[in-house]
Amino acid sequence: MKFRKADPLMRDLRRVLPSDRVRVAPLERSIMGRDASIFEGGRAGPVCFPISTEEVQGCVDAARRHGRAVVPRGAGTGLAGGAVPLEEPVVVVATKMNRLLSVDADQRVAWVQPGMINLDLSRALAPYGLHFAPDPSSQQVCSLGGNVGTNAGGPHCLALGVTSAHVLAAEVVLMSGESVVLGDADGWTPGLDLRGAYVGSEGMLGITTAIAVRLTRNPPAVETLLLAFDSVDAAAQTVSAVIADGIVPAAIEMMDKNIIWAVENFVGAGFPTDAAAVVIVEVDGLPGGVAAEADRVAELAVEREGSVRRATDDEERALIWKGRKSAFGAIAQIKPNYYLHDTVVPRTRLAEVMNQVYEIVDEHDLQVMNVFHAGDGNLHPLLLYDAREPGIMERVHAAGSAIIEASLAVGGVLSGEHGIGIEKRDFMPLMFGEADLDAQARLRRAFDPEEMANPGKVLPTGASCAEVNALGKVPEGVWG
Amino acid sequence: MTAKTSLGIGPEEMASRSALGIDTEELASCVSCGLCLPHCPTFRVTGEEWASPRGRISAMRQVQDHGMAVDESFLASMDSCVQCRGCEPACPSGVPFGSMMEATQAELARRRRVDWRRWGFRVLGHRWLLNQLSRSLAVVQRLRLVPSKRLGLPKIPLVQERLRATGNDVWLFTGCVMDAWQRSTHASAKRVVEAAGAGVALPGPGAACCGALSLHAGLEDHAHALAARTMKALEGSVPILVDSAGCGAVLKEYGKHLGTPEAVAFSERVMDVHEWLAAQADQLPSVGERGQDVTVAIHDPCHLRHVQRAHQSVADVLSRYATVVTLDDEGLCCGAGGAYAAMQPELAASIRDRKLEAINRSGADIVASANPGCTIHLANAGVDVRHPLEIVDEAIDYDG
Ligand code: SF4
Ligand code: SF4
Repeated sequence: MKFRKADPLMRDLRRVLPSDRVRVAPLERSIMGRDASIFEGGRAGPVCFPISTEEVQGCVDAARRHGRAVVPRGAGTGLAGGAVPLEEPVVVVATKMNRLLSVDADQRVAWVQPGMINLDLSRALAPYGLHFAPDPSSQQVCSLGGNVGTNAGGPHCLALGVTSAHVLAAEVVLMSGESVVLGDADGWTPGLDLRGAYVGSEGMLGITTAIAVRLTRNPPAVETLLLAFDSVDAAAQTVSAVIADGIVPAAIEMMDKNIIWAVENFVGAGFPTDAAAVVIVEVDGLPGGVAAEADRVAELAVEREGSVRRATDDEERALIWKGRKSAFGAIAQIKPNYYLHDTVVPRTRLAEVMNQVYEIVDEHDLQVMNVFHAGDGNLHPLLLYDAREPGIMERVHAAGSAIIEASLAVGGVLSGEHGIGIEKRDFMPLMFGEADLDAQARLRRAFDPEEMANPGKVLPTGASCAEVNALGKVPEGVWG
Repeated sequence: MTAKTSLGIGPEEMASRSALGIDTEELASCVSCGLCLPHCPTFRVTGEEWASPRGRISAMRQVQDHGMAVDESFLASMDSCVQCRGCEPACPSGVPFGSMMEATQAELARRRRVDWRRWGFRVLGHRWLLNQLSRSLAVVQRLRLVPSKRLGLPKIPLVQERLRATGNDVWLFTGCVMDAWQRSTHASAKRVVEAAGAGVALPGPGAACCGALSLHAGLEDHAHALAARTMKALEGSVPILVDSAGCGAVLKEYGKHLGTPEAVAFSERVMDVHEWLAAQADQLPSVGERGQDVTVAIHDPCHLRHVQRAHQSVADVLSRYATVVTLDDEGLCCGAGGAYAAMQPELAASIRDRKLEAINRSGADIVASANPGCTIHLANAGVDVRHPLEIVDEAIDYDG
């Protein structure tokens, strides 16, 4: 569809925003059709860059008057296609709403705009000795609005909980155009926890315009250990042993052989490229306790024939984390595309499921890399492929389905932190019965009766939700 | 904020060819993770995807792979890129953005009917002509007949000191604009290198320009011709020291661009002057009375940090003579970018504003920058900025 100046939707949007903040060039609309997931076929309608709550309300009003859906977007680093625009909706981009509005260091609360970058917030809080705990791998670029939308996790959410535990309130523009505050920055509100329902709703209940985040004190002492093992089993057993020992580390991350190589090639942090798996364990707290816990972790690793390296300073620690956090991006050193899953399995079944993953991938003649939050059993198998190879997508999707089924079979769940978006939408019936899905759809309609907020995501469409056919039901042109 | 697109576009010509001539493997190598976004100055100041590395790659794919026409918005996306290559070290997949952008600019240059740069940059290769023009410009500036700041020009000296060769241990590459406008920097660099014990050879007019500006504007033929001349003028096997980060980056990439064994061997001899000095640390002279009492913030020029990845050597050398602080913006570009400040004044100024904030936060008295473009751009905003070796030159106790 072409947008002309005289287009009534455009005319209304330009009443709300200056024309350089409503963009309609075909090129811009097509590059906004993607996020960091594998979907390439999305296409935006007018792309709006509001800078205030009122402007967001104006965009929503204009879209509603013209029967157009609205899709919110932050930095576009989502891994499940949650921000991919389907059928040319109005795209509301938060990147220009990126200010820190207020900080109350005593109460440990800050109000931020949704486009603020996660790491920029923690940097701005450094003088107060505080930070925002959820630290997704993409934290140097991902936006807080997106963190709220996906209920994002991160390595350091093991001890402190994911985004929902760190969001006190959200100012939200509903599809009616009304602006409401869900939750309360000063404490808990009586009644239904609508804030809780909102965090993780992937843009389907409204558009976030401000967030009250809970701030976490920087730990006085930190120890980071890099453990290397000759087998995935030994690594997984060490993870279980650490938790069974009563230690709750700040983070436990695991990477397997292929990804270690790619990451080391990028950061040069001295990751052992001959190991079958490495585990990064971080413990924090008061100095005495931290030292004792780190010693114990090292002991448990050595008992399982692991080798242990401790970061000697902040620089070395930062380099180890940089390696872990650039893992997804490092993939193209091997293949130009990846399809990432995000299932969670019980920690005790970790080794078993990983071995199944290797088998599934072999069966489909693909390559896989695993890099994940081992402490909470959140797997991230990355299937590597070159989209230009004919017939490859069928194999990738078949292997993906098999991995999900294997994870669910041991009592796991579909997504740990990336959200459902488009990518995992059609797997929802594997996890939820019809009654569950219906309840979720009704909650959504309570906020947005017309289903105009980010349509086509998360919930499979009614009629087809009983059958699962990942390839068949995604809107045409969406699979990349 | 809007980007300016270059003059003289023929829309029919632009649209007539779809392929950009980018290497297909390179173009396929981006996985769209977005990790480069915060390291891109134009994304930082606009928050818009078309002004980000990922968006630019996506735009290149639209044109090259999907046959989308080259239009104004494509040109805006490409021409707004500073070519700072801050996205390269940030990319875990090693996407060679600079080379994709150079290929794109070369193709766009072929399609542009008129581009003043094609003629303007020719002057740079002619030392005599450039000096004459510079002298006239210096006079006109004194008469206040040109809006220097708006054009991104420095104050050009009326009289230039004459440099003399002192030996054959190393070449000092002098280049074009810097030699015409900031020769006193070469003089400082030369004194410091000599104080470290080397005799300095100076190239003849053949090495009048490295070709960086032409290359970034996509004028490949001109750039290659300048490269051939420069290589001839800097014969032999001794190191070629460069005190301009932008020139050094291009000289180091001659091997890649020309692909000949001679060019590869030439590039291997090229060193940023600080790299060479840092390697002779024990030869460096001691600090005079004036050293150490200034606090200097080091601004890492993009082409030293992101392309040559040799920025640490500046701190290694300078910290012997002054108290050095680093800026907290992870080497984000200052917006100078060769001719960028003149071509995209609005974006260049917004990018510079971020840099000014970082400089303010550092609390330094002066700023050191090893690239003439950055020096001019920052000085135009009122920053006291000097070449690191000017600071070293001043601090050295030559008699001691
Ligand atoms: S070269 Fe610089 S301006 Fe251009 S895309 Fe990369 S980071 Fe951005
Ligand atoms: S250029 Fe590199 S960092 Fe940027 S999106 Fe592409 S793969 Fe990611």
